[in-house]
Amino acid sequence: MSTTQQATDEHDMTERIRRYIETRMPNASNLRLEAMERIAVGWSHETWLFDAHWTENGESKTQGLCLRRDPGNALLRHFSDLGVQFRVLQSLAPTPLPTPKPYWYESDASILDKPFLVMEKVAGTCPSPWGSAGRRFYAEAAARGALPKSFTHTLATLHSLDWEAAGLSFLGVPGSGKDFALHEVQKWCELVELSRLEPHPILVDLIGWLKANAPEPQRLTLVHGAYRTGNLLIDNNEVSAVLDWELQVIGDPMYDVAYVLTDLNREGSQLLSHLVERDAFFRDYEKASGIEIDEEVCRYYGMLYQLRSAAFWMSAAGLYASGQSDDIRLARTAWSVPVVLEGAARALGY
Amino acid sequence: MADYIELVPDELLERIARTLKKEIGPAVEEAYPKTQAFMAAVVLQKLAGQLRLADEHAVASQRDLQELAEEVDPLTVSQDTPPSLRAAVNTVRQNLDTASVSGLIETLYATRSELGETRFADLMGRVRARLRARIDREMVYAA
Repeated sequence: MSTTQQATDEHDMTERIRRYIETRMPNASNLRLEAMERIAVGWSHETWLFDAHWTENGESKTQGLCLRRDPGNALLRHFSDLGVQFRVLQSLAPTPLPTPKPYWYESDASILDKPFLVMEKVAGTCPSPWGSAGRRFYAEAAARGALPKSFTHTLATLHSLDWEAAGLSFLGVPGSGKDFALHEVQKWCELVELSRLEPHPILVDLIGWLKANAPEPQRLTLVHGAYRTGNLLIDNNEVSAVLDWELQVIGDPMYDVAYVLTDLNREGSQLLSHLVERDAFFRDYEKASGIEIDEEVCRYYGMLYQLRSAAFWMSAAGLYASGQSDDIRLARTAWSVPVVLEGAARALGY
Repeated sequence: MADYIELVPDELLERIARTLKKEIGPAVEEAYPKTQAFMAAVVLQKLAGQLRLADEHAVASQRDLQELAEEVDPLTVSQDTPPSLRAAVNTVRQNLDTASVSGLIETLYATRSELGETRFADLMGRVRARLRARIDREMVYAA
């Protein structure tokens, strides 16, 4: 695509978004969108950030907004519905958990070609922990000390929410016993199947192990499903918003804790999620949440994340292999599968 | 006799990857196509490594499967062996492929209580030893 064509498309998109917002704000006049920026975050949704300026009752007003659109062939497509994300954000808005305020969700593809949601643009930055700049950011924040505590306390807040009162039961409430873990295993096995790639025998072993060793949760809480740096907005040394509500479930809080503890999210760093000292995380989380961390159960969920990672990469590679995506980043993930499985093999005692 | 030049596939892919990485990628200004160029270089490098080792790895994999079948076969002929496990071992022996090993693993888990922990661990340990060798080979080009 030429630069000129891209500029035309971006202008067209800005105008279409403006016209849509105009229909949702009948009392606004002179609506204009500024600082429109399409950001490259994650692989699952297209995201635009912008500032809306308008006049209402003779008063000038401004609101930062974020629009997320479903590209139709996204990773985790089968688990990540924007309508569900919108309902989750609606449910969380009145709670103490910092999340973007949701404004509108549209499933009607005639408006912007695909379903989308519009939410508040929360102040802050979201450095990626996978790049050197992001790692430096978190290392410096770790040295200052405030952000690691905020990271831990925010997770404790998430796990302390009254999810029933918040109206989150629509996410599905696991049955008793091992139902939660077995349901998660099944979910990721389905993604493996959808990839249409032949499962590696080590993956088959991992699945067998997971089914045979499923734990029983001590309690059910809201579980974010991907709680780590890179999915949190940071402002003034604090978590200003928990983002990426794509994998949330009602389940075992140790599922989130295990994600914080896993090596998958620190790539050689001594700090959990490149930010938090392990001992401090244990101490602060248990104190703030009143929930004791069960390391054996976390080890199980760590193994479950190996399955999830393998399923995720197989899904990505499968999208490329089947011609549903031309994004070469997805093709590259085919070689991430053996790397994840090597980790699983070690954990299984190979 | 003519002095022919040979186009060695993996070397060709490596060279194209280098061109993408050092010349094409840096010349692209827009972020998305630039990332695609660099990622294409990575994919071609991985493919080159996989291609270079493909024959050697295929031979090793077949040898591993053959040895696995020979190893577990006598351990699963006794009367107390669940028929489904016996059938799974036979399938490995006949097919010598990935799907049959996966089938054997699934059957081992499914018959675990009948086998008892000691026998299950022994048989699974033998399967895992072969898979350890396989994943080590795959890591040479994947990591």
